[in-house]
Amino acid sequence: MTNAFSLYTPRASALHRLHPLTMLALVVFCLVAGLALPGPWGPYVVFLLLILPLAALGQVLPNLLSTAVKIALPFAISVFLIQGLFWTGGTPVVELGPLSLKREGLWFAAQSTGRVLTVVSSFLLLSLTTRPDALMIALDQRGAPKTLTYIVLATIQIAPRFQAKARTILDAQRARGLETEGSVGRRVAALLPLVVPLVLGSIIDIEERAMALDARAFSRSGPKTSLLTLRDTSAQRAGRWLLLLGMIAVVALGIWLRRAA
Amino acid sequence: MQRSFNTLTLALIPVAIAINIAIGQIIVLLKLPVYLDSIGTVLVGLLAGPIAGLITGGLTNIIWGVSGLNPQYTPFFYVAAVIGLMAGIFARLGWARTIWMWALGGLITGVVAAIISAPTSAIVFGGVTGAGTDLIVAALRASGAGIMQATFGQGIVSDPLDKLATFVIVWLIVRALPLRLRVRFPNAEYLPK
Repeated sequence: MTNAFSLYTPRASALHRLHPLTMLALVVFCLVAGLALPGPWGPYVVFLLLILPLAALGQVLPNLLSTAVKIALPFAISVFLIQGLFWTGGTPVVELGPLSLKREGLWFAAQSTGRVLTVVSSFLLLSLTTRPDALMIALDQRGAPKTLTYIVLATIQIAPRFQAKARTILDAQRARGLETEGSVGRRVAALLPLVVPLVLGSIIDIEERAMALDARAFSRSGPKTSLLTLRDTSAQRAGRWLLLLGMIAVVALGIWLRRAA
Repeated sequence: MQRSFNTLTLALIPVAIAINIAIGQIIVLLKLPVYLDSIGTVLVGLLAGPIAGLITGGLTNIIWGVSGLNPQYTPFFYVAAVIGLMAGIFARLGWARTIWMWALGGLITGVVAAIISAPTSAIVFGGVTGAGTDLIVAALRASGAGIMQATFGQGIVSDPLDKLATFVIVWLIVRALPLRLRVRFPNAEYLPK
């Protein structure tokens, strides 16, 4: 696991210069289009003609591709085997001894794989090109609650420390003889000595966090100053409205195509 | 949203989300047939009530996904939110006072999670997870179950067990918390003695 709890990859690209909300609108459009367009081909069109070119524009294509494939591959293998072999009453296309791959099952598996690929790569596109703190500040400026901003940003900062802490506890317990390998029973028994110290220790810490928040007037209402400033342009504002209209259009197109089929 | 939280609850939520993620990843490391990625969510539900639990659950999956580390979890954010909500409701009903009622709450939460996650799992992911529990899906499909039924079958085998374990672990942890800390949470009067 990486140190930072975000895949954000700094690049001097046009995508990285976009306002976080424009990037968010773009990614939501990819998601909506990928799920709205019908057939096995719908999600693949979005993946190949929209997400990949955008990733290339953002200079993160290799990162996106390798991570997306790593995540989607186990799904793809599983769904092709299960739905291909065990589709009820399908037309067999390939005989494999007593079993056979069914055409309908393979069609369904291709569609599912496409959807997984689109969903996963849309999120990856967002995380690779958008700083999480910039995104939260943008939402905050649009009236999202400060509480939400605090929760998300605090989580991103403490999650990697917790992962390290969990690893340390695991190593410490192993060092004093806790068996973390072997039968399922033994591994389940190893769970409590790992989970309890991690959770107890961190809950006791939160009192200090709460005091720190109070001391910095977090619950005070009124405007606050941010160190990070965001640039927005009227072209991007118009672009976001267009993307919103585009989402409605692509959903309508999806429904129309399904009706026509 | 701002009004209903005290600062302690607000400080607890990010810690709980980090707990969900850290433990979720240890479990993968230990190759266990459970997820246990909602310990923090159930903990917040129990200590701070249904709304705080709902927010913790929903945000866990959204942050885990949008950070790019586990994008496949994001579509299930509403399931995690309902888990936190239910933990909070069971706590307010006083079910956390005895471990038996609380464990029953865990089982019910697991059944609900299996029911509401099946449609997303079937529609977005073709009913599979790419993990060992897919064997259950395969067996059910081979015996003639539809995609939705097979997906639900997989959930109903693994989710109640997972949530039962989660609820019991959280109960044990909360009982071990120092009293001076417990009394400061909104749900103090409903906590295990």
